Amino acid sequence: MLSAFRSALATPDLRKKILFTLMIVAVYRLGAVIPAPGVSYNSVQACQAQVEGQSFFTLLNLFSGGALLQLSIFATGIMPYITASIIVQLLTVVIPHFEELKKEGQSGQGKLTQYTRYLTIALAILQATGVIALAERGGMFPNCTESIFPDSSVLTMAITVLTMTAGTAVMMWMGELITERGVGNGMSLLIFLNIAAQIPAEGANILNQNTPLVFGFVCLLALVIIASVVFVEQGQRRIPVQYAKRMVGRRMYGGTSTYLPIKVNQAGVIPVIFGSSLLYLPDLLVNLTGDPQNPSGFTQFIQTYLSDQSSWLHMLLYFALIIFFTYFYITITFNVDDRAEEMKKFGGFIPGIRPGRPTAEYLRFVLSRITLPGSIYLGIVAILPNFFLSLTGEGQNQNFPLGGTAVLIMVGVGLDTVKQIESQLMQRNYEGFLR
Amino acid sequence: MQLFLQILLVVTSVLLIIAVLLHRGRGGGLSSLFGGGMQASLAGSSRAESNLDKVTIGLAAVWLIAIIGLGLLLKL
Repeated sequence: MLSAFRSALATPDLRKKILFTLMIVAVYRLGAVIPAPGVSYNSVQACQAQVEGQSFFTLLNLFSGGALLQLSIFATGIMPYITASIIVQLLTVVIPHFEELKKEGQSGQGKLTQYTRYLTIALAILQATGVIALAERGGMFPNCTESIFPDSSVLTMAITVLTMTAGTAVMMWMGELITERGVGNGMSLLIFLNIAAQIPAEGANILNQNTPLVFGFVCLLALVIIASVVFVEQGQRRIPVQYAKRMVGRRMYGGTSTYLPIKVNQAGVIPVIFGSSLLYLPDLLVNLTGDPQNPSGFTQFIQTYLSDQSSWLHMLLYFALIIFFTYFYITITFNVDDRAEEMKKFGGFIPGIRPGRPTAEYLRFVLSRITLPGSIYLGIVAILPNFFLSLTGEGQNQNFPLGGTAVLIMVGVGLDTVKQIESQLMQRNYEGFLR
Repeated sequence: MQLFLQILLVVTSVLLIIAVLLHRGRGGGLSSLFGGGMQASLAGSSRAESNLDKVTIGLAAVWLIAIIGLGLLLKL
């Protein structure tokens, strides 16, 4: 393990990549603590001390690495990009033009990415406006009387919105730079960092509120959860594929037997993000429009059943949404008909099954079977933090970095990045991180 | 001074957004975001792209200075 680290740093091009990534990360974390212009740093700090971990923005705040509640220049963070990618992905099903682009390959994909980038900026403006309006009206920090914006003229607000939008653009660029010249996928690495940045504070919180024994127990539990997530994340079914021998000119091709890997959790962490952002919508709506003094029946219903993460309705709904979105996302991303067609084109077949339509049917069957435990696993991991409620104190459920969305993202991104470094390392020597 | 910094901030913000959007998008959206493939970007960056990089970095630096300057000036 240690020698692998040494050889990773001894390889010149890999060392350059790792150092470049670290540099971007340092710049990013620095920007995450610079307050946006027009925001009063002192009152934000005072308000934050008051509400300590009971804001309804927890998930958004987690994704922005605490930058949201700081109202820093990166407050909108990565969320607009995630939302834009999700929207563009979904639109490929709806709009024929997008579907054509997706099938076009490299150049079409590039165009889709470009659309995603434009949409990101539009969404960033929207989200920045929303965040600032909410903070100005006092919805972000309930019961906090300090004025966050000392000068609340329209012009100052507009400048703040513009700055935050530019911040999102810079973040997007930094993510792309990491993808291009660093190690791993930049966007997911930035999300990973945001979540990891919260862990020490959360750990200290638990240690302060409980005895050291409970803290040790939580740490142990976290290790078990991470190990089990890695275990399922790596699990895959290998469908054997036999390729026919072909003569092209004087050379022989094919004749190999390989396999088509189908992961237990093919959808990754996307369903969890979809589900949680959908569940946050009514909450957000009520907070933006509702009157906190005399809440209507609808508001009360949402606050008791949907916003409260320990309520059974919330958990049940979350679980159901995740299972639904797992299937939904897999049908979008893993096209069995295309896969079968591709196999047929290159002279491959699954032993015992005819190429073409029967293969597609078989793949669909296997995929829907294996996705069921995969989706249930996702749902269980995602609602796991709700059972920790009594340990971590009030209102820190999703924020709690050792369960749910956070662990899934961290493990997924971590595995991916290590694998990529590993493959770079393989070019030099065969000793790697993973056995 | 405050007005100057504010105007500078607005101008650099807009230019920065445009500069970032002018870059060719890399990374391929969400499909490779979580546990995705390892796509190698074989196409190296062109001359125009590397010039754009320099412009973006310069803009970002001015943008950051304007923000910090405003913050120090207003002492909120």
